Amino acid sequence: MNDTDIERALGTTEPHVNADDALARFQARVQTEGIAPVVPVARPRVTSRWLRGLAAAAGVVIVASALTLSGVAESVLKIFEPKSVVAVPLTQSDLNYLGQACAGLNLQECMGAYGTFEWTAPPQPKEVNSRSQASAQAGFTALAPTTLPSSVTGDPRYGVINRSTATFTFSADSTQQAAARQNRTAPPLPANIDGSKLFITGGPAVVQIWGAPAGTPSASGAYPDVPTLVVGQAKAPTVSSDGVTVDQLRAYLLSQPGISPQLAAAIRAIGDPSSTLPVPVPAELAISHPVTVQGVQGLYVGDNTGIASAVIWQKDGMMFEVIGSFTESQALAIANSMR
Amino acid sequence: MTLPARDPGRVVAVVSPAFEGLFRAEYARVVGIAHRVLADQAEAEDVAQDVFISFYRGHPADAPYARAWLHAAAAHAALNAVRGRDRRSRREAALAMPPDATAAVDDPAETVAASETREEVRAVLARMPERSAAMLALRYAGLSYAEIAAALDVRASSVGTLLRRAEDAFRRELR
Repeated sequence: MNDTDIERALGTTEPHVNADDALARFQARVQTEGIAPVVPVARPRVTSRWLRGLAAAAGVVIVASALTLSGVAESVLKIFEPKSVVAVPLTQSDLNYLGQACAGLNLQECMGAYGTFEWTAPPQPKEVNSRSQASAQAGFTALAPTTLPSSVTGDPRYGVINRSTATFTFSADSTQQAAARQNRTAPPLPANIDGSKLFITGGPAVVQIWGAPAGTPSASGAYPDVPTLVVGQAKAPTVSSDGVTVDQLRAYLLSQPGISPQLAAAIRAIGDPSSTLPVPVPAELAISHPVTVQGVQGLYVGDNTGIASAVIWQKDGMMFEVIGSFTESQALAIANSMR
Repeated sequence: MTLPARDPGRVVAVVSPAFEGLFRAEYARVVGIAHRVLADQAEAEDVAQDVFISFYRGHPADAPYARAWLHAAAAHAALNAVRGRDRRSRREAALAMPPDATAAVDDPAETVAASETREEVRAVLARMPERSAAMLALRYAGLSYAEIAAALDVRASSVGTLLRRAEDAFRRELR
């Protein structure tokens, strides 16, 4: 069978379509079924939700990135430990796909789409009274900014998150069932991935949060909804594997339906996935670029309006992040003043 | 959202000019891709409508990835449709299908044989790895290597190799 035979087998007659009629059908269906188009992304105002979301994303990335990128090992070996950070743009398409895949589910349930996710030591945040207490409980010296913009006033509050561990076991059955629920066909899970385990650790971590903007102190003393500055510091997460390789997992991830070309290209472009922490950045909402911070290469993430900023970097086995309603230069000044 | 008043005799333009432009520019291509998989124009047009509805719901018409998304979605949706067919309904559809996948024949026996061949082709596509089957559908629907690379998110320089492998697999499966 040559190419012509294949072409004949796959049909050589071009269908004759009437685009006008088809468009009329489409418009009638949109009307009849009340189908709304995607809402255009407006330049977002910086809200507390955005800031909280960014902070949450920075935390979740520890687990999420660990699950998407694992490494090489014949037995249980440490195969992921970030030495650098890189932005991975998530398009609306990816967010829609993830939204469908994880609609109404928490992280643990969502990861259940690919296997079994179990916290062996779940994260348990608690508040402490001082930086020294935070350092003592975390087991490392919590650094703090020595220079703050005038918009950041008052004393910070301190939180400590214990060292958390989790195990993830891949399951071909779970993957197929999850895909079927979305009316999709998942690519087959390679046999050597099915049943293999990832062992994930994150933290301990210290979080320092400065409160309400200057001039608007909370009369009730309640914790403000919108922190002006969040500084996070954590032991770099690690992942061990009992046999799955980086390339196998990356190839499988990229074969998933719904992964946008942009996201796939960004993942593929990561030079050394065993030591690079990908930070998901909503492509339509935020900008990101590499920056030099504390003498190492970090990542700047800002919203489109230029009002909110985050700087994330890795140094000496620790992950750091500075998040707040600042310009890029202000955020970098805070980050570089950490001692 | 307020929808325009409904008038059964007239379809009101409800989509943006940008979306209309995209629809007009890509509809035939999307149908063509689905048709390569389904060998049934009506079914291919149904798939195309679903593909555009999905895009309309989730993506801006001016998205830079719009065309690649539509092409990939057309292939995947058509392959899903083939896999979802009941074996019996596939056979019935094949017998009722105009013989557009092979040269026109007058002999009823040849017509049946041609239909069976078409059905075997669909079954092979359904069994093949998703990317390989999609690659064949896109290539034989006339997409360039660059367009295939964008749709399936592979390097343009790899398309030739991947396509040859897909064709080899297709030949082996079809015997």
